Amino acid sequence: MSEAPRKNRKQVVEALHEVAAEMHNRMQRGDPPRMILPVRSKTNISFDNKLGVFKYGKNKTVRDATKLGSARQLLRTLHITEFIEEMIDSEKSSTLREMYYISEGWGNGKFGSQNESNNLAEDLEIVTKCLREDFKLRPEEDGARIIGNITVEERNRRGEWMRINCRDDVGDSGYGVPYNVEEEKLKLVDEDIDFVMAIETGGMFDRLIENGFDEEARCALIHLKGQPARSTRRIIRRISDEWKKPVVVFADCDPWSFRIYASIAYGAIKTAHISEYLATKEATYLGITADDILAYDLPSDDLTKQDIGALEAELSDPRFNTGWWQEQIKLMQELGKKAEQQSLAKYGLDFVTDTYLPEKLDTIGLGY
Amino acid sequence: MNEAEEISSKQKQASIGEFFEKNKHFLGFDTQQRAIITAVKEAVDNSLDACEEARILPDIRVELRRTKSDELEMISQDNGPGIPRDSIEGVFGKFLLGSRFHAIRQTRGQQGIGITGVVMYSQLTTGSKTRVISKVKSDSSAVFVDLGIDTKKNKAIKSSEKRDIWIDERTGVEISHGLKITTVMKAKYQRGKKSVYQYLRMTSIVNPHASISLVVMDKEGEIIEEGNWVRTSNKLPRVVEEIKPHPHGIQLGTLQRMLRESTDRRMTSFLKHNFSGVSPRAAKEILGAADIEEGRTPKRIKPDEAKAMITAFQAVKLLKPPMDCLSPIEDLLIKKGLSKAIDSRFASTVTRSPTVSQGNPFQIEVGLVFGGDLSSEGPIEILRFANRVPLMYQQGGCLLTKALEAVNWKSYGLDQPGGSGIPKGPAAVLVHLASTNVQFTSEAKEAVSYNEEVFDEVRKAMLEVGRGLKNHLKKSSERKKAKEKFELVNIILPEISKKSSELLGREEPDLAPVITQIMNAVFLEEELSWNKESRLSMCSVTIHNYTARARAYTILAKWPEGEDTSMAFNPRGGRKEAKGLWAWRLDTLDPGTSTVLEFGISGLSKGDWNETDIFFRGNGEIIGATRMDEALLDEQRKAEALEAAVEEVRRSSAPSEAIKERPVTVFEPGANTDWFGMEGDGE
Repeated sequence: MSEAPRKNRKQVVEALHEVAAEMHNRMQRGDPPRMILPVRSKTNISFDNKLGVFKYGKNKTVRDATKLGSARQLLRTLHITEFIEEMIDSEKSSTLREMYYISEGWGNGKFGSQNESNNLAEDLEIVTKCLREDFKLRPEEDGARIIGNITVEERNRRGEWMRINCRDDVGDSGYGVPYNVEEEKLKLVDEDIDFVMAIETGGMFDRLIENGFDEEARCALIHLKGQPARSTRRIIRRISDEWKKPVVVFADCDPWSFRIYASIAYGAIKTAHISEYLATKEATYLGITADDILAYDLPSDDLTKQDIGALEAELSDPRFNTGWWQEQIKLMQELGKKAEQQSLAKYGLDFVTDTYLPEKLDTIGLGY
Repeated sequence: MNEAEEISSKQKQASIGEFFEKNKHFLGFDTQQRAIITAVKEAVDNSLDACEEARILPDIRVELRRTKSDELEMISQDNGPGIPRDSIEGVFGKFLLGSRFHAIRQTRGQQGIGITGVVMYSQLTTGSKTRVISKVKSDSSAVFVDLGIDTKKNKAIKSSEKRDIWIDERTGVEISHGLKITTVMKAKYQRGKKSVYQYLRMTSIVNPHASISLVVMDKEGEIIEEGNWVRTSNKLPRVVEEIKPHPHGIQLGTLQRMLRESTDRRMTSFLKHNFSGVSPRAAKEILGAADIEEGRTPKRIKPDEAKAMITAFQAVKLLKPPMDCLSPIEDLLIKKGLSKAIDSRFASTVTRSPTVSQGNPFQIEVGLVFGGDLSSEGPIEILRFANRVPLMYQQGGCLLTKALEAVNWKSYGLDQPGGSGIPKGPAAVLVHLASTNVQFTSEAKEAVSYNEEVFDEVRKAMLEVGRGLKNHLKKSSERKKAKEKFELVNIILPEISKKSSELLGREEPDLAPVITQIMNAVFLEEELSWNKESRLSMCSVTIHNYTARARAYTILAKWPEGEDTSMAFNPRGGRKEAKGLWAWRLDTLDPGTSTVLEFGISGLSKGDWNETDIFFRGNGEIIGATRMDEALLDEQRKAEALEAAVEEVRRSSAPSEAIKERPVTVFEPGANTDWFGMEGDGE
């Protein structure tokens, strides 16, 4: 299920018109216009046995014009629809941020915030079953960077395919993953690695590169840059699918890092409608675990009020409803502590590559 | 005797040296920062009291100028009645103890050491004299005189006395009556919460009939602070009647002195002449209970017998003291006073009925302002007053503050961390205690001491303004909701229709049935405005029927009914339902239609009427109005009928009383009342 289903221009426009038509039909019948959407919260995601990832459940929310806020959302949705149609016609694309600014000219259909325009674009994806790329909308967010012995072909802005080895053809900052990583833009050509390691922080990414970890452990290193962008999650998924390589996630030990892992392995709540293209169910959480804080006696910080709240929320998040995660979260609550990846430096700069990672990888059968 | 003489002759004197010695640290001159506030306070309070008694609208100007690093010159000038030449020494050279020992009445002067303290302080700290210019209307010229005090002989020393025409330096016009005091003292000017500026600002709030200005200059004559509070009402506080003390409030020492100073021959006449609430029958009963013969001479009463009288006072049933010795500010004027000093969105005020504690009549008034420029950070501002005099110190130890803190403000819409204490939010609360005998915690007279009855009254008043605030907040949120609905159906929905039709290339649908379905309610909006041409306070009520059925309603509106106001514009007629409540029966309102009901009130000024309540009778709810509570309305009608009957009896039994100046019944501008069932079932 690697291939994302793409629609042609005509299909996209038709799907968008259906949204407008539902509103229009209802008004003709004397009913308030509306849109029906799945509830987009942790209470409405469930594990899809067939796909192996988390998808939206059956709970729907009706956005209808009986409240001012919702009516405005509907009007904005119609403006976005019109805007997308125009872009499709003129073969242009825009960033979500550009659309936010363009909405300045939409009068009462103007967005209140960038966040709102992003959410509405996602809503449209959900109801039309199209992808953002079909809408000619680009994210603002940075893609990841990759270093490791893999070779890709990327179609550059002149339309030519460029061959890039992510170890030999890149500088220290690695290969920058573009926002579109679908077949039409990016091909995975060749590899000589044993696994992929996704790393939360830039500091740790750079440490592993300086220590030559990618070559020594024969892996590709991917810097997630915090909560990973769609394209980052998508390329991890493609590497996993197409090359059948194991994926491990190396992050801080705090509730937010757990969520980063969940969005890679199980699917993010916000994008649960496309979890089957973005999530990599084979991904493993390598560390740092709550156990590690004790086992390695790592320097740690007290949990903040927000951390405690986030942990509490995770206990009832269906994605963390496994014995292992519940144990880890509860242990962390007991300790009242969190630790950063870089706290491993307590034992020297090489400790992470000489001791910690080999030991951890060994436990999941990736020893080298 | 002219007015001015009459006033000064009543000012009885006490020994200066003794009093000063005893109370030195309480006189309000303990720090240089406080000294100037006290001096201004004494001068301004005297001016306001004198103007009030002489029925003059006060114009008061205070000028402060730094003369040395630690010296200030104070000039205070008023347009009051002036002081007759022969009384000047008495007024400025001896400590005034007000008139409280001999007649009881609410005055500002009760609360200060008196202007003599200022003369004294000036002399002690700088060795200078105080210059007084006084002009009495009936004299052809003004008296100019320099005053000092001979502390040993307890006498004022006059010097450089002369008579001359008094020309106002600033306007060049001859002054026909007034008083000007110029004095120099060791003092420092300080800005902020405890400053002359704040003192005068607060004073102006509770004296909306006064124009007060302040100029503060540094050594070079540069203005460093300035204030100008213009009169917002031409209505002088009513003349307060002097009353005699009530036996319930008398202490042994006072009784003994009264007995000593009495010229009455018999105890019965002593009791009748010197006390209020004592009928001839009660006098006999008191003497009987105290075992004192009726014919005894008061001067000869022994201490033990006086003690027995005090006990007898409590045992015998007495009449309440009369209440017309109090001068409340009254709600509307509080509102005006607050609005001239504080910019806010909403004001809720209440003047409680006068009541009695230990023989002393007292009355509580509270005003609450909310919103506007008021900061929503930190605790609210509390403005405390006793007999129209600002209390600036010891806020925490004051009964008025404690009663405010005891209210659960959270339930009225103000933040109150911990559920008690001073609430937070964009509000300010004014609390005024009017009493013939304000009990303070100390001679410094900055904090009112605990008294159960007073505490209870303050608390009740706070609850009343609190309800006003809650009602206002509820209405604001309802109004906001209605406004949103209107925006939805009038602006957004048509755009959705237009845009979707454009995208699809279809005809636009008819939105009327959609709108009915979205709104599915009757909406009411009221708007109060001021009509400049007709000088009417207008109220316009719009009712929209956004339901699928025809509706018929009777609409009722509260209006400020009073002696000065009338329903001057009312094309729809209707009828009076109760005091301040008018009703109109509306024609059937078809689905999708709206109607406007308009009326105008005369006798008010711009800004007097800012909020009203609209009620309805009929089937189905109206968003923006409250269903009339018929039971409560009935109760109110009964209460009114009873009041009218009592008034009738009072008028026929005491015809002279009826024509006396009484406070105009001031309307309650909507927000304060809850007897119509504000918590209606409108939701």
